[in-house]
Amino acid sequence: MSPWLRLIIFLVGAPLLGGLLAGWDRRLSARMQARRGPPLLQPFYDVLKLWQKENVVVRRSQNFYIFFFLLLVIFTGALFFAGSDLLLVIFALTLAAIFFVLAACKASSPYSFVGAQRELIQLMAYEPMVLLTAIGMYLVTRSFYVHDIAAHPTLLVLALPGIFLGFLYTLEIKFRKSPFDLSSSHHAHQELVRGLTTEFSGRALAMIEIAHWYETVFLLGWVYLFFAASPLLGVLVSLAVFGFVILVDNVFARLKWQTALRSAWVVALVLGFGNILVLSWLRHL
Amino acid sequence: MHGIKKSPWIIHYDASSCNGCDIETLACLTPLFDVERLGVVNMGNPKHADIFLVTGAVNPQSQAVIRNIYHQLPEPKVVVAVGICACSGGIFRDCYNVSGGVDSVIPVDVYVPGCAARPEAIIDGVVKALAVLEAKHREMKALANSLDQTLYLRADKSDAPEILALQKIAYQSEAELYGDDSLPPLQQTLADLLADFERTPERVAVLAHAPAAEDTHPDADQIVFLKAVVNGKIIGSVRGFAIGATAYIRRVIVHPYFRGRGIGRRLLREIENAFPDVQRFEAKTGHQSKRNLFQLTHTGYQVLRTEPFTPHINWVFLQKERAPAPATTKNVK
Repeated sequence: MSPWLRLIIFLVGAPLLGGLLAGWDRRLSARMQARRGPPLLQPFYDVLKLWQKENVVVRRSQNFYIFFFLLLVIFTGALFFAGSDLLLVIFALTLAAIFFVLAACKASSPYSFVGAQRELIQLMAYEPMVLLTAIGMYLVTRSFYVHDIAAHPTLLVLALPGIFLGFLYTLEIKFRKSPFDLSSSHHAHQELVRGLTTEFSGRALAMIEIAHWYETVFLLGWVYLFFAASPLLGVLVSLAVFGFVILVDNVFARLKWQTALRSAWVVALVLGFGNILVLSWLRHL
Repeated sequence: MHGIKKSPWIIHYDASSCNGCDIETLACLTPLFDVERLGVVNMGNPKHADIFLVTGAVNPQSQAVIRNIYHQLPEPKVVVAVGICACSGGIFRDCYNVSGGVDSVIPVDVYVPGCAARPEAIIDGVVKALAVLEAKHREMKALANSLDQTLYLRADKSDAPEILALQKIAYQSEAELYGDDSLPPLQQTLADLLADFERTPERVAVLAHAPAAEDTHPDADQIVFLKAVVNGKIIGSVRGFAIGATAYIRRVIVHPYFRGRGIGRRLLREIENAFPDVQRFEAKTGHQSKRNLFQLTHTGYQVLRTEPFTPHINWVFLQKERAPAPATTKNVK
């Protein structure tokens, strides 16, 4: 498949798939709590509604940053699915997160400000592991390019089990699920009101939701990369990982930011760096 | 669009409830009733909510909070009063600290009676609120699309209820600005407003400090009411009266959703045109109402003087001389 075709499929398909996954998330969570849960298409209804609501702002520029957040998340996913350099993808992902943080700071409400600071801490927590994942994939495939990694004949996860587990840990942070929903929780009644998204309403909030859909598909795409040698297995594992994230969300309570940061770095050091150490040791044997 | 009806996000506030209705409201979220199957989410954030659900009677402490939350809800929004206390004050209505139901502070769309209101009744109320929400949304959309067809007309007594409702909505922002519920526009009754359509401005001397009240009476016109109408709905209004060579302009009100689109400015121009014989216009506003001051000074008004009204509010009086050559004035019908 040509990179351009993949790109177009991502741009059109990712919000649909991401929205469905978000709906599945809510439904599955409800079932885990012995409830019926909303219809599968609920996230689409929500975004449609938000799009038509009044957009209340503290400062107009805050929506400008949100627009760039969405744009950069799409850019990140587009780079990834077009088969570009993984390091560039990570860079774009970080930039997107920074725009989100800037937007929340711009709104100058104490809640969104604390949310923004916690988001920065989360960024700090998962960034080392994400970089180690890219390095691990490079060590196995000798390329940072996604299309080379995807074309690698063996299952990456066999050589990178530690990095895979470490990456799962980062996914929990990146999806902002319990125990790492410090900066903005999907559930009501938290101490920060809604953290990062407190001051956004109407279209800006809809754009944040859509950005999350793109982000979900992009991150699950990265999970798929570990199993790219066997496409069916890759898709199944990606969905299973998403289910696992939902399970963890429903099982755990929120961690303090100190614990979140420390544990994420310990995981990155032990599982990520350890895996790379063993890998290079085996090579030189 | 369907979305608006399928995704009601709620913010729940306990005004002074005994927690009976609160428990029943939260019971709606539990597995037995599970309102999330209707897309209902209990939000902790008013800026994300569509439905404002209030329980309990209103007291001086909760008044400011209710008003604050109400303003943070983006349009279109619906208010549901849950339980008899929120509807009317219930058994507490005669208490010295209770001002009554939620509608003593903000406009309420759906009343859910009961002590405590049962979860079934609350869900029913929310579903009813959805119909109101959709109607409001449709109305807002239709109005926003045809703002350029706004008609500026003389209002008569049959418009009084609608103008009064609009006045109470429009003055919410002022009440919040000054933290004062006792602003006269919010206290005005329908009978009083209806009477305004008939009486000549007797108390004008007190209000406007016109020289010698008795002398001005014979000259005093009736109060002129103008309305801005879109699709048959009043979204703005202004009133004014002339004494001698001066017209006094009062209560320029525009629905909060349609502010900043030139309706207020146009109303000012129309009310000035409604008094072709006067040479001078006088308006007044509170000292903290920056929007009003901005609008008036940008339409040619100049600050005349300020005067204390209450300990927290100073009146700012503004005046404007009629422009020497009245260009093509379109008189109001």
